[in-house]
Amino acid sequence: MSMIFYDKLIILNGLDKKLKKMVTSNDELQELWTAIEEIMHHRVMGCVLDKLPQHHHEEFLNKFQSSPHDEKLLGYLKEKIDGDIEDIIKKEVKLLHKEILSELKTKKK
Amino acid sequence: MNPTAAHLELFRNNLRLKSVEAQNKFKKKYPHAYKFLQEKGIELGKIRQHSAKIISVGALTGTLLLAPPTGAGQLPAPTDIVKSIDEFNRDETPQLPQRYLVDTLKNVLPERTRPLSRAEEKYIESVFANVIKIPAKATLEGEHLNTTYGMIGAEQHLKRYPGDILENHGPFYKEGIAPGLGAWSYFSKSKVELTPDLIETERWYAVAQTLYLKDWASRQPYLRDWYKYRKVLLVNTTNGKAVVAAIADSGPAAWTGKHFGGSPEVMEYLGGARYKKGPVIMFFVDDPENKIKLGPVEYNDLNIDQKDLVQI
Repeated sequence: MSMIFYDKLIILNGLDKKLKKMVTSNDELQELWTAIEEIMHHRVMGCVLDKLPQHHHEEFLNKFQSSPHDEKLLGYLKEKIDGDIEDIIKKEVKLLHKEILSELKTKKK
Repeated sequence: MNPTAAHLELFRNNLRLKSVEAQNKFKKKYPHAYKFLQEKGIELGKIRQHSAKIISVGALTGTLLLAPPTGAGQLPAPTDIVKSIDEFNRDETPQLPQRYLVDTLKNVLPERTRPLSRAEEKYIESVFANVIKIPAKATLEGEHLNTTYGMIGAEQHLKRYPGDILENHGPFYKEGIAPGLGAWSYFSKSKVELTPDLIETERWYAVAQTLYLKDWASRQPYLRDWYKYRKVLLVNTTNGKAVVAAIADSGPAAWTGKHFGGSPEVMEYLGGARYKKGPVIMFFVDDPENKIKLGPVEYNDLNIDQKDLVQI
């Protein structure tokens, strides 16, 4: 069990080291972590709802709000979604990772 | 503004913008989902704190959906625990304490790390008290981490005072020194004011995810002070090595796949030179008189060396 049912799918390797090089305090670091988390949850839940047929949304959201940690939610999604939901989430996270790395390279002109 | 600060500011602003965009897009595309969550008082961006609240209540009431341990599938009955520990203490089962600990944990812990139930934590507390001889608790003075069984990752040295450099942190230089400061800033205002206790605190420091605690923001500054240099017992569940450390930084980020962090010295002791990540239990040390020293806990004469260098 994780804190969020899709935690095992949202690993961003190597990013933290890059962030730590930019900041001077833990507060600054936590601000960046929080912003990334916020983007991540909206993007992941967005792609879940995108793939999940609309008539299952209410049932899923009910399950999610009462046990966001329950990994059985992945099983539920696998049952209701046409396609590999783990792969779909991983792809979304990979895309986000790429976008953040690209933002990191952006310098002020 | 120097180039690094300007770069950070730009990155921070771009992230903020991206976050607002993601929230707006979600709200526009799934208004029913947004409304549903809003009515339940849930902010999707802070879902981790909401989850922590649910797990905490579930663990207390025993209603949490937990994966069973790998061994017996359920905890031994209290009478069996007492009998087992009595036999161990009477030396009727002659074996190394470390071996006994590893075998016991293997029977109790689930295959994958996860928050433990209060019953599981209570059982492990009694095992630690009897085998490691350190009074350690999952809940101390009403405080409890989101998880007590998770993955620990290698951290860098922390700057103890302005001007501190890596060369002052021997003999473990490989991990480097964190460019930024820890959650509680410098350990002392200057090199002159750095006491032997503070040197030990940095040497044996641990990192915990205080930022994801359900009440972290609402109970300030109490929690910040409570966690500062709080003594914890870290036990490598694979080889039974144990170390008493002090919490001196907040993290790691959830998306690193880790739940705790350890200083280079902590990680070297727990798993050897190549140990970067592995499962551990982290409990608070109940030490109101501050008598327990930071550092390795040598609870038997010999170690189970074959698992020292396990790299997960």
